[in-house]
Amino acid sequence: MKKYIQHLFAGFILFVLTVPAYAQTEKDLFRAVGTPQNPKVEIIFNRYYTSDGLAELAKKIADAHPNLAKRVSIGKSYEGRELWVLQVTNFQKGDPHRKPGFYIDGNIHSNELQGSEISIYTAWYLTENYGVLDYVTEMLDDRIFYIAPTINPDARDDHILKPNTGSTPRSGMIPLDDDRDGLIDEDQPDDLDGNGSITQMRRKNPNGNFIVDPLDPRKMLQVGVDDKVDPNTPRYEMLGQEGIDNDGDGLVNEDRIGYYDPNRDWGWKWQPDYIQRGAYKYPFSVPENRHVADFILAHPNIAGAQSYHNTGGMVLRGPGAEEDISTYNRADLRIYDAIGKKGAEIMPGYRYLTVYKDLYSVFGGELDWLYGSRGIYTFSNEIFTRYAYYKNYEGGRDLSYRVDDELLFGDAFEPWKPYDHPTYGEIEIGGFKKNFGRNTPGFMLEEELHRNMAFTFYHAYHMPKLSISDVKEKDLGGGLREITATIKNERLMPTHASQDLKYKIERPDYISISGVEVQAGMIVDNEDRNFTREQKTEPEKLRVNNIPGNSIVKVRWIVSGRGKYTITVDSAKGGVVTR
Amino acid sequence: MKRLYLLRLGLCVLGLTLTLSVWSQDYNNASQLAQRLRSLANSSSAANLKSLTKTLGGKDIWMLTLGTGDVENKPAIAVVGGVEGQHLLGVEMAMRFAEDIVNNHQSVLDKTTFYVFPNMSPDATEEYFATLKYGRSGNAKDTDDDRDGQMNEDPFEDLNGDGMITMMRVLDETGDWITHPADDRVMIKADRSKGEKGKYHLFTEGQDNDKDGKFNEDGAGGIHFNKSLTFAYDYFKPGVGEHPVSELENRALLDELYTHWNIYAFVTFGPGNNLSSAWRYNRAGATKRVVTSVLRRDESVNKLVSGKYNKIVGTKDAPPSVEPGGNFNQWAYFHFGRLSFSTPGWWAPMVKGDSTMKKNSDKNREVNYLRWAEQEGLSNYFVNWTEVNHPDFPGKTVEVGGIAPYNMLNPPISMIDDLSDKHNEFIRELASLQSSLEMVNLQTESVGKDMTRITVDLYNGGTLPTHSQMGTRSRWLRRIKVTMTLGNGQQVISGRPIQMINSIGGDSSQQLTWLIKGKGSVSITAEAPHTGSTSTTVNLK
Repeated sequence: MKKYIQHLFAGFILFVLTVPAYAQTEKDLFRAVGTPQNPKVEIIFNRYYTSDGLAELAKKIADAHPNLAKRVSIGKSYEGRELWVLQVTNFQKGDPHRKPGFYIDGNIHSNELQGSEISIYTAWYLTENYGVLDYVTEMLDDRIFYIAPTINPDARDDHILKPNTGSTPRSGMIPLDDDRDGLIDEDQPDDLDGNGSITQMRRKNPNGNFIVDPLDPRKMLQVGVDDKVDPNTPRYEMLGQEGIDNDGDGLVNEDRIGYYDPNRDWGWKWQPDYIQRGAYKYPFSVPENRHVADFILAHPNIAGAQSYHNTGGMVLRGPGAEEDISTYNRADLRIYDAIGKKGAEIMPGYRYLTVYKDLYSVFGGELDWLYGSRGIYTFSNEIFTRYAYYKNYEGGRDLSYRVDDELLFGDAFEPWKPYDHPTYGEIEIGGFKKNFGRNTPGFMLEEELHRNMAFTFYHAYHMPKLSISDVKEKDLGGGLREITATIKNERLMPTHASQDLKYKIERPDYISISGVEVQAGMIVDNEDRNFTREQKTEPEKLRVNNIPGNSIVKVRWIVSGRGKYTITVDSAKGGVVTR
Repeated sequence: MKRLYLLRLGLCVLGLTLTLSVWSQDYNNASQLAQRLRSLANSSSAANLKSLTKTLGGKDIWMLTLGTGDVENKPAIAVVGGVEGQHLLGVEMAMRFAEDIVNNHQSVLDKTTFYVFPNMSPDATEEYFATLKYGRSGNAKDTDDDRDGQMNEDPFEDLNGDGMITMMRVLDETGDWITHPADDRVMIKADRSKGEKGKYHLFTEGQDNDKDGKFNEDGAGGIHFNKSLTFAYDYFKPGVGEHPVSELENRALLDELYTHWNIYAFVTFGPGNNLSSAWRYNRAGATKRVVTSVLRRDESVNKLVSGKYNKIVGTKDAPPSVEPGGNFNQWAYFHFGRLSFSTPGWWAPMVKGDSTMKKNSDKNREVNYLRWAEQEGLSNYFVNWTEVNHPDFPGKTVEVGGIAPYNMLNPPISMIDDLSDKHNEFIRELASLQSSLEMVNLQTESVGKDMTRITVDLYNGGTLPTHSQMGTRSRWLRRIKVTMTLGNGQQVISGRPIQMINSIGGDSSQQLTWLIKGKGSVSITAEAPHTGSTSTTVNLK
């Protein structure tokens, strides 16, 4: 008996040991350019993951690359799930949280899944390519990524695991009384046909305005006033989304999960629900957002940010609200434009747009808070566009049916089937399933993830990169030396966005000298003409309001003493450099 | 046994009286207020006390629920004090209101519930009792008020050692300030358009510790409750925080309020004042997407209530209302959709000058305050300007002086008894105006074949509307839900089993009608938490 267990145990070990033998090794593989050919963590990128699935992938990445990735929780969701953030950087070089930081999150709208997979892909790509691609190595030596794959895990799982349309819940899971009748979430859509998706209901009705397309039984055609329909052709009325009148008030599906919009909850120019539908009680009253905001406030090194949505193929910048136009000034728009236009090139089918004029005018969005309140350059991508199917903008209203036939082989559409409805009687239920339309089909997903990541890399690359490029000394006689240092920022972004400068959001950059006795310190506005501004107190620690992008700042000290000295630049968003 | 009991009771009463008389010497600090709240809550089952949270400074945010019966389903008024940390009077007024209801007017609770939040700025009000008083508005949060990256690097200094931070004037022709023509103790800005030339710089008392040319711009700081809410929030200003509703106490209060669907009105004791005179309707402000004006019908309600206030309280010549961005009174109306009224409760009455006095022709509030204080024989309300040696101004004449902190907002507590009674009466009057649903003119007619037509008027017998006009827009104020409940074998032929009504004005009604098939009786209920409910049983014909 014992022996048997021993055997079993040995067998188990053998099994575990031999598993890698079944995996293909490097010699069987050839690197497709741009992709790690034999990664430490194997991830399948043509499907979507639940919040547990994402958490597990994040853990695998962190476990496989302990010097490059850490998984930390920034708090719990409403239903008690951890909100995981992957910190990705070379933890062995420099103080990780003093490097310029780039924040990424996905899935704030729970049904908009791809951002989570982009997040995982990005962390995976960075860790697997460190030491392989110089671009990635330098990026992780110089910068830190804070990646939150999902900031709405509760409702993500609801979307995936419970009956929904492609557009629900969108909200988080805090129950709310949508019809102000004192009952909460009491009349949600019902999955009457039990296929996991909320589709459409139709009913035969001689007075209806729809007929079935004679060329395609899936498709309903609306009858126009001048259309001549054969009187024998059955007519239909559309009854809306699948559901029944659960609370007996005569209305169907009028109080669904939620409803609030987590992306109307952010603390910049926030407005209440009667002005901005979807707002909850007050800024950051949605617990997941509060954790994110507190995390951002605790990490002033974050200089760039990206939030992922779907759909439509857009690279969006603020302002969200027309009333907030003046917040986005010209100097910062030049930077937004440079990065956003690059995004439209990197992601064919995507357009670089402004929320308030090209999408809708809304208050309380995440991107506005990150920029308006924290001075962080932020984009929201609306992932996936119909352009992707045939790499053109054609297709019109029939496109979805064609895609269902030619590319998805019927996987997208639930055929109409009869159903006996308690209120409506004999009806039929059918339509496009929840995983079609907004979320990228599997066979195109990896490309979607890669291109979006490439865009954030471009953005992250252009966070400030500071160096002390030149130090000059001049003997002034009488034991005095004049030391002039040039501080260079070789990337696009300044250490302080102009919104930041306007409101002093972040402290000034400190340029300090130590090891010598400082008699005077000044900022040099023009070295040739000797235009300087003296700092009368603490001259050894000069306070510079900004180090602009692709530019330099010069400072000067008059010092006494012969000793060696060290110059340090200490910028909240630009990092710390010493020479 | 009985004697012992009586003895104990007597001792208790004695103790209570003694402590009360001690309290009445001055405003309460946090522990005195807590004791007073506990003893009130212990004295009656109509009073319930709970702590919503503790502030960063370790002080409780108290909530006292005054009510009897089905407390949460009676229309309610929230009474809030201490929205401004320098306004100790507001705390006292809210507390006295609660005591007066419990001790003398419990019958009001038959129809109305009160939620009393006596002090929303307990970290700040505690400074009133400190050895060095400067007039604090902020909580205990460390704030970088001048946003320069250094924390609290330039606080006040008590240069003349009198235990108070007042003002500091520096004789200098580059300054903007002059003395007031009616009272040279009061400083005003020179009006260059009238040819006046400034003679002084005016600063708060202290040194320029960080040598940035500004005085005392970054001291202990803290977040001001009355600047921290969402309406017209003034981003990046000192005392507002990094975003609206960032603090433990304002979150705790709002989270609590959002659970009390029965609140229909607020009375706030604070610097805002829409009771002496009502908010004014402004068409442009009321029709923009981001509404900044009281709505038309709510203006009428405000005028009505303001009229009652002035009649009962009788104060005149109110100073201009102080409603900074993010203030509470406007939040309660504009963002919470409730009727919202605020008053400072007290200000120095206008002193009629006699022929011996110089004329206070611009009705300067400080000049008037000094005259009033002198007339009332107060002491320690003004620090006379006295010269000090100031290291930041070598060779200059620097004087420290001015009105003592807290005094202009808080009269000596011995003077507020009558004022407090009148405000209590006003709040009871406000409660008596509340909406009140009744079903009147009930008619049933037989339409044959077991069918009965029911018609009834849902009447609001109160003076106030069931919903503020703003509230009809808000998802946080429930609509009136009318339910027709059927018995066995009955059927609604026409009409809705459940219907929602947006609002019914004061002394107004809405007619409801159903056609019911069946025998026996049905019942009709109309309800919303903030209007109360009414129901009736109808026998079918």
